[in-house]
Amino acid sequence: MLVAFLTFWEVAARLAHNIGIATFSDTMVAAWDLMFGNGRIWEAMLNSNAALVLGFAISAVTAVPLGLAAGRSRILDRALSPYTAILLAIPVAPLVPIAITAFGLSLAARVSIVILFAVIFIYVNTRAGVRSVDRRLVEMAHAFGASERTIWTKVVIPSAVPAMFAGLRIGLGRALTGMVAVELLLVATGVGKLLLEYRDRLQPAYVFATVLFVIAEALLLLELARFIERKVAPWND
Amino acid sequence: MTDVTAASTETQPPAPWPDDASLAAASHGGPMIELRGVSKEFLGDRSSTTTTHALDNISLTVNEHEFITVIGPSGCGKTTLLRIVAGLIPYDSGQVLVKGKPVTGPGPDRAVVFQSFALLPWATVLENVAFGLETRGIPRAEREEQARVLIKTVGLAGFESRLPRHLSGGMQQRVGLARALAVNPDILLMDEPFGAIDEQTRRIMQEELLRIWGYRRKTVLFVTHSMEEAVLLADRVILMSPRPGRVHEIIDVPLPRPRGRETERTREFTDIKELLWDKLRVMQTV
Amino acid sequence: MAAAAPQPTASAAPFDPAPAPRRPRRSLARRLPVEGLSLLAGSLLWEIAGRTMDLPWLPPLSMILADLVTLLGQESVRANILASLQALVIGFAISLVFGLVVGALMGRFLSVEAALDIYVNALLVAPTIILIPVFFAIFGLGDGTRLSVVVVYAVFVIIINTMTAIKTVDPAMVEMARAFGASEAFIIRKVMIPASMPLVMAGVRLGLGRAVKGMITGEMLVTFVGLGALAARFGSQFDMSKVFAVSLIVLILAAVTNWVAQLVDDRLTRWAD
Ligand SMILES: Nc1ncnc2c1ncn2[C@@H]1O[C@H](COP(=O)(O)OP(=O)(O)O)[C@@H](O)[C@H]1O
Ligand SMILES: [Mg+2]
Repeated sequence: MLVAFLTFWEVAARLAHNIGIATFSDTMVAAWDLMFGNGRIWEAMLNSNAALVLGFAISAVTAVPLGLAAGRSRILDRALSPYTAILLAIPVAPLVPIAITAFGLSLAARVSIVILFAVIFIYVNTRAGVRSVDRRLVEMAHAFGASERTIWTKVVIPSAVPAMFAGLRIGLGRALTGMVAVELLLVATGVGKLLLEYRDRLQPAYVFATVLFVIAEALLLLELARFIERKVAPWND
Repeated sequence: MTDVTAASTETQPPAPWPDDASLAAASHGGPMIELRGVSKEFLGDRSSTTTTHALDNISLTVNEHEFITVIGPSGCGKTTLLRIVAGLIPYDSGQVLVKGKPVTGPGPDRAVVFQSFALLPWATVLENVAFGLETRGIPRAEREEQARVLIKTVGLAGFESRLPRHLSGGMQQRVGLARALAVNPDILLMDEPFGAIDEQTRRIMQEELLRIWGYRRKTVLFVTHSMEEAVLLADRVILMSPRPGRVHEIIDVPLPRPRGRETERTREFTDIKELLWDKLRVMQTV
Repeated sequence: MAAAAPQPTASAAPFDPAPAPRRPRRSLARRLPVEGLSLLAGSLLWEIAGRTMDLPWLPPLSMILADLVTLLGQESVRANILASLQALVIGFAISLVFGLVVGALMGRFLSVEAALDIYVNALLVAPTIILIPVFFAIFGLGDGTRLSVVVVYAVFVIIINTMTAIKTVDPAMVEMARAFGASEAFIIRKVMIPASMPLVMAGVRLGLGRAVKGMITGEMLVTFVGLGALAARFGSQFDMSKVFAVSLIVLILAAVTNWVAQLVDDRLTRWAD
């Protein structure tokens, strides 16, 4: 199947005669060069990922507790709901200039955009996880005289874990988007800079190769998240 | 409170079945649960037109060591009654006393077995059975020891580290029963505990329950919709009628114990069951 | 021992029914319009912070709203909104046709699913934005780039949901229809499509939300028309109030399209609730 797809790519690209489209073989050569020839992908990835890691970590650390709290308190939930709706609907890209104005062309600006992209999905899913806890289990815990604290640690949080992880995975994907978005839009650095540069130099093979690196990173990170989830919540499959 | 720990109960052989005289004495150990004119309404979501009068002026006394079953058409308030006694939901008027004290919430003197089993899916059999002890802050080693004893009592030895989803329905409810027994309550509240279990397993579970009850003599309030089950298990059957939920009649079941499958073949058993059906059929709306 | 266990205390926790012989009443909090109050408080806070702190990136809300009105009054801005809408409608229509067809095929035929599954999933989770330079390289500055960006943003979630919807139609239902001698076409029309509609519509609505995001992002990155281009221009002029105003327009657009989708959804899936 993969072979079929790659063959299709190679043939189609050769037939297309479009200077924007690179063949599979050229892309692989470019990928090799980016890794072991000029080796530029490593520095670019490292640079980009600094914003990703920081932004994602901050998002998770704020959104998970907030989601738990909103799942618990109806008032807080209702107070936050208009902002939730806005953050879910609004495209973040136009806000990039605002982050730049606030923080300059800095890591902080990139991190803040990553947060804007990721945080809401983690929050929404965590909250939904708490909300969807099986009422019968909560009632059972009550019947056995469990304290509020026990109900949280033994019933509500464990049952919210799958939804929480789903949120973290979506948030991770969005954080990657945020990472690339700033770099393409305003702060030319990392993989974004690489992309724009190769695009402007009309080297499509390098553009394609860089794109493949980012997609590969995304898939790897998501697989890692799945792996951790299976370790943390093995009852769930 | 005379407290026999789970461990010591297990190491003793099951107590010999009490003769009729001591049974009679035992089953009048004074009122354990008293309901005096209890009523309960559920308000509808927004408009008050959808108010459900779930319980109306329920009065009922359950004595110590008594096995009471509650039967009635769907929606007549059986679950509501049980949840009120468990202290899980408030009631509107009247009085609910357990051991003479008003119920204000769940307490260590009562344990509930749920129709849906309500096992924690992420916890092992051992952890599930120990749950009630854990909520009471009993240290791990001690609660696990007690839990193991109860797991053995319900016939699940060897399954301690399984997750609930790897167990059959009958086995899951054995966990539910062990969890309730593990906290050594005075009262067992059971809401159609075998309702979600297939007929064959259900019969075995009934016998197991009678066996365990035989030497632990908890006071039991047991909701069911099976007439055989109601008669087989009970000292008295509470027959409820719907809209609003009322106690329609209380039927004595003077069948000798220990009971088993032979009991079901006796004339007396069939008579009581038929009597019950005659009364239920009148209320039944399809 | 059990008797020594502490009596559980009644707390005002949300899971605690707080049993007591009293009539339940609707709490004050439930009757208050908390959402509206919260939004009002947030707006006021923004206004005050904007006025007092005098930060270039935090213009007062009133200024943003004033700019919003001004912008909407300008012919060129309205032209840009129309251009954006056009890209959105065409791009989303393509996504819809493509997404429903591919998704249905993947749901119905295991071989199609096996063939496409990894690509669809990879493109669903990978950051779509990374593809924009690629499209730009291929299609240049034209409508091809704008539309293809909208499509890649929207299409994969529609495919995945449609596939899942078809695959999770209750087999007992299909079997029932078959037992009554229904034809394959009849089963698709009367059983499969209605049964899968809720999930399909959920995918369509998610896809619509993503289409709006793709539209604006594509316009910001590669073209000189539409709301995205406006936002990019005001951004490079550091006119933050106008950037916020454009974002508000986009938000309104997103809300309106979502509302339309909701209406359609309600129509098609009335049985589901
Ligand atoms: N939480 C609730 N909210 C509203 N109505 C309820 C609630 N619980 C039960 N009811 C209503 O109260 C009546 C009695 O319910 P229940 O006690 O569950 O009956 P049973 O267990 O005998 O079938 C039913 O009409 C039911 O719909
Ligand atoms: Mg019931």
